[in-house]
Amino acid sequence: MNEERYILFDQYLQGEMTVEERNSFEKEVSENPEFAAEFITFKNVQVQLENKFGHEQEREAFIENLSDIADKHFNKDRPKVVLMRPWYYAAAASVAILFGLFFFDYNQNPSFNDYNHPGQAHFTERSNTNESLIQAEKTFNERKFKEAIPFLEAVLKENKTSEIQYYYGVSLLQTGQDKESEAVFNELKSGSSVYKEKALWNLALLKLKQKDYNGCKEILETISQDYEDYDEVQELLHALD
Amino acid sequence: MEKSKIHPDQKYIEGIAANDSAIIRSIYKNSVPKVVFYIMNNSGDKDQAQDVVQEIMILLFNQAKANTLLLTCPFDAYFFLLCKRKWLNELKKTSNNGVTINEDFASINESALELVQEAEQFDEKQQLFDTMFQKLGDKCQEVLKLSFSIKSMEEVAEKLNVTYGYVRKKKSLCVGQLTQWIQEAKNFKSLKNN
Repeated sequence: MNEERYILFDQYLQGEMTVEERNSFEKEVSENPEFAAEFITFKNVQVQLENKFGHEQEREAFIENLSDIADKHFNKDRPKVVLMRPWYYAAAASVAILFGLFFFDYNQNPSFNDYNHPGQAHFTERSNTNESLIQAEKTFNERKFKEAIPFLEAVLKENKTSEIQYYYGVSLLQTGQDKESEAVFNELKSGSSVYKEKALWNLALLKLKQKDYNGCKEILETISQDYEDYDEVQELLHALD
Repeated sequence: MEKSKIHPDQKYIEGIAANDSAIIRSIYKNSVPKVVFYIMNNSGDKDQAQDVVQEIMILLFNQAKANTLLLTCPFDAYFFLLCKRKWLNELKKTSNNGVTINEDFASINESALELVQEAEQFDEKQQLFDTMFQKLGDKCQEVLKLSFSIKSMEEVAEKLNVTYGYVRKKKSLCVGQLTQWIQEAKNFKSLKNN
């Protein structure tokens, strides 16, 4: 390997040569095609290395996000939250039918509970040791929203991210603190995070809960078609008509 | 290549580079089903389609980050052609028997084809580069990785607990080693082609 040549290439590219050295380097490039070809390859290698390592973290974030979206896309036909076993569904359905028979009141308006799915939180995927975060996720997923709220507040105090804010809003909604919840979702709505559309959906649910059907509809109509659960948006819009 | 007009769909490429979830979701919604349909009709299944799509998305990300991708045709056509050719290459690799391919589905768009060839060259170059990089010693790999993610060579030297002079020289020589191998591969290729 021509060590001196590579050291020279690097010095030239880093701008560490005197005017004379520069001139003689450039002369060599223009007169010696083999030298020039190797110099071009050297520069290309640098560019490749910059591409490879300069965006490493962004690439990892992209691949993670991509896998998430792809999984959701390709497994759409499977139920999203697999908390209940099929026979629970069957049992729940028959109970619902019984109730329906007893209390059938011809009220065609959709109800909040039909569309209220708080979802699952996944805060601590990457070996996180933040105790509040772990507890927040645990209590949230166990549906102990009242207990989750103080943990989420603690996490928000340290590091305010849209994700935590969103789950904080959901917890408030689930514990009947509608006003506080609305404020959180309004803040998310005006941001540009991925939780923007989810926040709109929850604001619509709040209106539904308050039986403000027109208000609910107005918000639903502002939700982008690219929202991951747009099916549900359409379903609710249809039910409101 | 003559710089034709940039297509408004360049926003998809920018969205991919910016890891914009809404853009990525809209690609899955609008462009991916066609790819899945094609692969499933040509000896593939849904999982294989998912893999092909994922690999192409990562290729687009890499290309976008290297600023080498200027879209001159609709994104949809480009994306489909890329995935299709990737799948056909996979088929060729894995099967010794003849493969039945439904060619009628292809809608060849001149500038899409040109772009796809560029992307494939980009991919090939990157794979060659990655192979070469793996051949380097551990020390070289570490120095290069740090030099090109941290940028300040003083910091790199500190991190590796060596002098600035050493790390600078090491970096030049490691880049030089890669240069030599790639230059040799190039010379070999041109010998073969002549």
